[in-house]
Amino acid sequence: MELGRLEYLQALVTEFQVTDSTGSKRRCSLALSVSCISSHTRSFSLAEAKEQVLANLANFAYDPSNYEYLRQLQVLDLFLDMLTEDNETLVEFAMGGLCNLCLDKTNKEYILEANGVEPIINCLSSSNEETVVSAVTTLMFLTTPRSRAQTTALPVVECMLRFSLSANTRLSNLASIFLQDYCSPPQVEEARNLSKHTAVGIPLPKD
Amino acid sequence: MAAGSSSSGGPGAPCRHHAQLGACESRAKYREGWRPRAVKVYTINLESRYLLIQGVPALGVMKELVEQFALYGAIEEYHALDEYPSEQFTEVYLIKFKKLQCARVAKKKMDERSFFGSLLHVCYAPEFETVQETREKLQDRRKYIAKATNQRGFFVLKKVEGPKKPASKNSEHDYPWSTSGSRVASNWDPSCFTNSLGVSHNTAYPSGNQSQSPLTSPHYDNNCAGISGYFGENTSLTPSEHPGGHTPPAYLLQQRMVPAYNGIDRFMPRTTHLQERKRKREEGNKFSLIGTSEDNTEVVIGPQLPEIPKVDMDDESLNTSATLIRNKLKEVADSVSTSVEKPESSSAKPLVKQRRRI
Repeated sequence: MELGRLEYLQALVTEFQVTDSTGSKRRCSLALSVSCISSHTRSFSLAEAKEQVLANLANFAYDPSNYEYLRQLQVLDLFLDMLTEDNETLVEFAMGGLCNLCLDKTNKEYILEANGVEPIINCLSSSNEETVVSAVTTLMFLTTPRSRAQTTALPVVECMLRFSLSANTRLSNLASIFLQDYCSPPQVEEARNLSKHTAVGIPLPKD
Repeated sequence: MAAGSSSSGGPGAPCRHHAQLGACESRAKYREGWRPRAVKVYTINLESRYLLIQGVPALGVMKELVEQFALYGAIEEYHALDEYPSEQFTEVYLIKFKKLQCARVAKKKMDERSFFGSLLHVCYAPEFETVQETREKLQDRRKYIAKATNQRGFFVLKKVEGPKKPASKNSEHDYPWSTSGSRVASNWDPSCFTNSLGVSHNTAYPSGNQSQSPLTSPHYDNNCAGISGYFGENTSLTPSEHPGGHTPPAYLLQQRMVPAYNGIDRFMPRTTHLQERKRKREEGNKFSLIGTSEDNTEVVIGPQLPEIPKVDMDDESLNTSATLIRNKLKEVADSVSTSVEKPESSSAKPLVKQRRRI
């Protein structure tokens, strides 16, 4: 059973790599048939195939029993790489995947060592609501005594201040929690003062 | 009281609800077949104790609806959402469960189910949460991960546990990284294990997963992982702090002497690891069968049941807990043997009753 799971995940990652390279539609649909149970006449674009596979992996990342395998298959690196993609959907799914698995100690350390905080902070300015929300949560989860300086840097705190005033309840709730639980009052104060004077920082996402 | 939460969204609420509606429709298309546009990733942010139910026929069936959902867990609140846009002749309801896990199961079961002739669309409604509810949701997720992966102490937590320590006002401004020590107290709660019977989130992406049933809900694995997580947690506490009468029942731990362990030796496949331990155990057994009874006054007739083997489990915490269990067993066995009066010679059973390992 366990090997079955590993094989399946391996197949997913392989698919992803296959569709990542300059594969033809034929190769793409062949790769997809590994995970498909139903036959379909529609042909998929490479982008769609990548999205599907990434979503599948991100959903797997929700379950801790998969973490070993995901690490073995370097899916964490995959997620981090996808954060800089142009395709918004890929970023959204990758960010979701990271959010799902970053609470695990080993995964957390791995992400921090791989300088994952920076691309995640950049995701705060995405126009995609899910991406931003996942990014906020991921930053919370990645905050440790060592990483705190990075995850609660001034631009981030400023950004959270603005998010906390958003009409989007999910976002404002998460931002409030970030400010209350992960930032010190002096930090919040400093950000508040700064935002009064300059426009430095991360722009608000479009709602 | 019930109406309070619906206004928490504020003036922007209807717009966001439209977004939710969009997501639901994509799920409906997905139900019809393979629709890549409906692919969705579930994170803890998306999930919620609040469920939005659309497509309820306007036949005055609120009571029946709530009864149906109540099968999956205790419901804290429910009411109709009159301002929410809905199809003609249908209503929209909001149901708030007491536990996230119940909401998860309810959503999975009730989504796309026929109800009085109409198809229900069930989705999460995290926008109805208060800040505190969101906070608790995130903390529960932390605890779950910590338990499932047998980790403790490293992560950051603001409050220890919400319901059990109400006097946590002071910790409002505590930095989360300072509270690691007290976190683990009173985590042993049967409901935690029901939480760990994870409902698979691959349902949003059914095509791949349905063909691979072992991949979906690893009930057993999670359960064991949860218990073994507790295993590790408890032993890590003993040297540093007293958990406050927080000893696990010995019987439960005995049954799980072979935990499905995720944490140790992470890059070795679990089957190999289990086989390793089994091999070691068998070796231990071999020797125990050969050895003589320690108690010379006993008359042992027939093959002795294997002693509880002292297997080195490659991990300090596991060894400690194994020793604890062994000692406990010895204690219990001793107390049993001293309280029972039996004639020495005629008994076919040894005085010390060994428990056969399952």
